[in-house]
Amino acid sequence: MWGQLPYAADLEKAGVPTVVIDFEDQNNMVMEECLRQGVPGIRHIHASRTLAGPEDVDRMIGPIVQALTSPLIDKEKGAGLWEPNANRIIFEGTMDEAEEFFNQTEWVPHPVNAPIAKFTDGLPVTIPTEARVAKMLKGTSHRPDELVTCQEDADDRAKGEPVLFHPMNWTATVEKVAACAVMAGCRPEYLPVVLAIAESGCYIASTHTFGQWLCVSGPIAKEIGMNSGCGMLGPGSIANSSIGRTYEIMARNLGGAIPGVNRMTSIGSPFEGSRCCAENADALPPGWKGLNEERGFPKDESIVLVIPHVNDGIRGVQFSPGGYRALQKSGHGGMARRLGVKGKPGPHNWLEYILPELWACREGSHSIVMVPEMARHLYEFGFKSKEAVYEWLWKKSFMPLKQYRNFSWVDLSTNGWMGIEHTSGKPWKELPDDYMVPAGGFDPSFFCIIVGGGDEEVSHQLSSHRHLNKDPFFSIDKWR
Amino acid sequence: MAERVRCVSPVGIAKPVGLHPLAPRLDRLDGKNICLSICGEPDITIPLEKRLKNDYPGVNWTLKKTYGINPVRLSEEEIKTTDALIQGVAW
Repeated sequence: MWGQLPYAADLEKAGVPTVVIDFEDQNNMVMEECLRQGVPGIRHIHASRTLAGPEDVDRMIGPIVQALTSPLIDKEKGAGLWEPNANRIIFEGTMDEAEEFFNQTEWVPHPVNAPIAKFTDGLPVTIPTEARVAKMLKGTSHRPDELVTCQEDADDRAKGEPVLFHPMNWTATVEKVAACAVMAGCRPEYLPVVLAIAESGCYIASTHTFGQWLCVSGPIAKEIGMNSGCGMLGPGSIANSSIGRTYEIMARNLGGAIPGVNRMTSIGSPFEGSRCCAENADALPPGWKGLNEERGFPKDESIVLVIPHVNDGIRGVQFSPGGYRALQKSGHGGMARRLGVKGKPGPHNWLEYILPELWACREGSHSIVMVPEMARHLYEFGFKSKEAVYEWLWKKSFMPLKQYRNFSWVDLSTNGWMGIEHTSGKPWKELPDDYMVPAGGFDPSFFCIIVGGGDEEVSHQLSSHRHLNKDPFFSIDKWR
Repeated sequence: MAERVRCVSPVGIAKPVGLHPLAPRLDRLDGKNICLSICGEPDITIPLEKRLKNDYPGVNWTLKKTYGINPVRLSEEEIKTTDALIQGVAW
């Protein structure tokens, strides 16, 4: 509900009656947000997702007026205090009973209409007994009762600030994070990574297909046996899989995120899993910085990136591996024809091949995952740093305003074209149709390259790591 | 007899929330200052604005408008002179 419900709650508290127009499927979310804002039962009217506006307004106009004029009923006049259960021990009994307890579900009505797990991601978990949690806590020097707080200043957070877990803005102790790590199947040595992920607040918002994936950079990846090679975002590695899984278990428990109630990803995403991989720092071409150094951390400091993945798809099947090798070895095949290098051996800039797709349907910058060989080809082609690649991609993204207007999200990002275009500093409405604007995001730093994976030549292009305008880098070493 | 275990709560810490009643409703619309606060969805909000102004000419309608997801808030001074607010569309 972004800013609308908090606003309505503030006004109600100030004595100004309100009515909120929303959609029927968001009813659960509205009710919960009203409670969180301290004004349960803010009056709301459901708009239609399908009726034409005038027809919908015909239907709503009476209820809107009634919501502003109909006298309050008793339950709307109530005041008091809502105090949630805050016991440290949530269950006591046999192990069989504990398994039953943690595998409970609750029925979530429309738009879900299915039972949803109360404490888990839907899969069986390791039961967080006191003994197991105590063992897990040996993975960090931080006290069990310490509140999880931001460990350093960043653009969007201040050192020492309590972390508010999304969507309910709850807080957590180190012990609660350790309980989630036990549930996900982590080993104690993974706990600093999990605590760094917790520092992100485990954001889950958006009504669109929204997920997160995680990438570890720095020495800890090897120390705890993470996979940065073949299948690094797939199954098999206990470290990668269990660390990734903690994101969801923390979102559910520490943030109170419930599908169809307060997390409304309409279809959902495989990345809501979530997946965690590690950067292959040993395979970076000369001069290409690791993710930790890119953000200003020392090379020997371990960090994790919490990367949002939104509904702009996962690209990565643009060319056959054999086709890629033909391009670079001898300049043959479809890729060479598109790039106009037929018969000329590489290195060639394979990014040229994927450019038409990057901004075919949606504007924005990208996180690009590439295997080491493909990073090396870019280096040999002439990109002596990642920043040079980012700059090239961003410059290639410029297109005439007439074309840029044909994206959907830009209506929102330009505030209905009432805002200012940032490269010119001029109002959007004053710019001519042929004015060139970047479709590749605010500036080159919104791109990100992650080197890892196996030998077969593949690249994935996903959402920008800065898509939410949040700093996605979190120190792991601060949590050791 | 099966061994008994104690399980640590993984559930986050929610602060107690002070609950407030809704603001008293209006006894009538005529003569009141009512704000229409618009967030996106022009298919709904444009006909809504027209219809409200047409059907309730006795109301002093004010408008706050953004295409984005965070409403343009009334100032403290404006709140003092605003009798009610319609917020649409929340998503």
